[in-house]
Amino acid sequence: MPRERKVIPILISAAIFILMEIAALNMLSSRDSLQRFWIARGAHRIQGTLWGGTEGIKYYFILRKVNRDLAAENAALREDLIHYKAIVDDARLDTMKFGLKSARGFIYTPAEIEKISRNKQHNYIIINRGSEDGVLEKSGIVTGKGVVGIIDAVEKHHSYALSFMNHDISISARLGDNGAVGPLVWDGHSSNKAILREIPLQYKYEPGDTIYTSGYSSIFPPDIPLGTAGDSKIINGATNEIKVTLFQDFSTLRYVTVVSNTSQRELEALENK
Amino acid sequence: MKRVDYFLAYFLLAVIQILITNYFHLSYFITLSILPVMVLSIPIRYSTNIAMFIAFGTGLGVDLLADGVLGLNTLALVPIAFLRNTVISVVFGDEMFSRKEDFSIKRNGFTKVALAILFVQALFLIIYIAADGAGTRPFWFNFVRFLCSLIAGFLLSLPAVDALSPEGRS
Repeated sequence: MPRERKVIPILISAAIFILMEIAALNMLSSRDSLQRFWIARGAHRIQGTLWGGTEGIKYYFILRKVNRDLAAENAALREDLIHYKAIVDDARLDTMKFGLKSARGFIYTPAEIEKISRNKQHNYIIINRGSEDGVLEKSGIVTGKGVVGIIDAVEKHHSYALSFMNHDISISARLGDNGAVGPLVWDGHSSNKAILREIPLQYKYEPGDTIYTSGYSSIFPPDIPLGTAGDSKIINGATNEIKVTLFQDFSTLRYVTVVSNTSQRELEALENK
Repeated sequence: MKRVDYFLAYFLLAVIQILITNYFHLSYFITLSILPVMVLSIPIRYSTNIAMFIAFGTGLGVDLLADGVLGLNTLALVPIAFLRNTVISVVFGDEMFSRKEDFSIKRNGFTKVALAILFVQALFLIIYIAADGAGTRPFWFNFVRFLCSLIAGFLLSLPAVDALSPEGRS
């Protein structure tokens, strides 16, 4: 109660003081344009400060709501990011798929390597696509940069393949656009080197010529670029053996495409006859 | 009887202030004013509100009768009245209010009275010079004017304080 008794007279005095000062300022501004301009400028400055201050206070009190909105927006953005990441991954697989020249009778299935061995003489690959995804035994595995392997066993959701880095695998390859055809095998050491064998001596080539799949096997479609020709040596005086640098480096392999020949069974039946 | 004497002295000093403002233009750098010390010397028995009304009336009277900008003295004088009790409390002590005793050089000493005069003069001059210049004059000019006016106003305020003190009027 005594405190109230002190506060009220102070407030009254302050109110009287403010009124008197306003009256004095009014007298000042009414007689002299210089003072009027000065007072107006001061008043605008005070108005601006007060307005800014109230805005700051108002903003402080709505921070909780702003934070809540930001958190919700953040969650939505994170969800979008996951969605777009999935699209990008699919697009990457599609790019590889469409990077290959299409061939009639082949079905392309994008896949991701789940396991791969590189440091053995008989290397293998396990991919995340199986029979339920339409993968067949003896299907090829390719990338936009070349041949990777051949499917050896198929499970529901996974497939086991023999890697091209395997002594048991040879691929029918062609030297240049219309050159000789011979088996392409891994050199046994590198992750990106191979040897093209049995090229007749009369066929001339230049180092750097591109090696393609020939299309003579039922596994791989023709014209998939595999690598470039390098040095050669004559074997038994009858054929050339050409060193090939593969486009696909197996040490950086992750996304692949399974190439299944739809008429493979028909061709096998024909061969058996 | 004493109260009438005080207001007579106050009125005479206001007339002197009008004369000073109209006829004693010493320099652009000097603003002579005894108004702050007149307001400070309003007897303690009068409340802040009454002191503010007296200050407002005095300032307005001087503004109207002197050759100056209307509202300038009023604007600078009302804050002195508003802060009068605070200045007295800080400089002379709270016991002035409990004893309802007005200050004077004889009772409170020269130093304390000089300090109070300097404080109210400075406050008055800051507002007066700022409002008079209206932001058109350079800082150095305002500063020099403030210092010169403070010294001149202080010297002029000493006899004014004495004239308004109970001892001076007896």
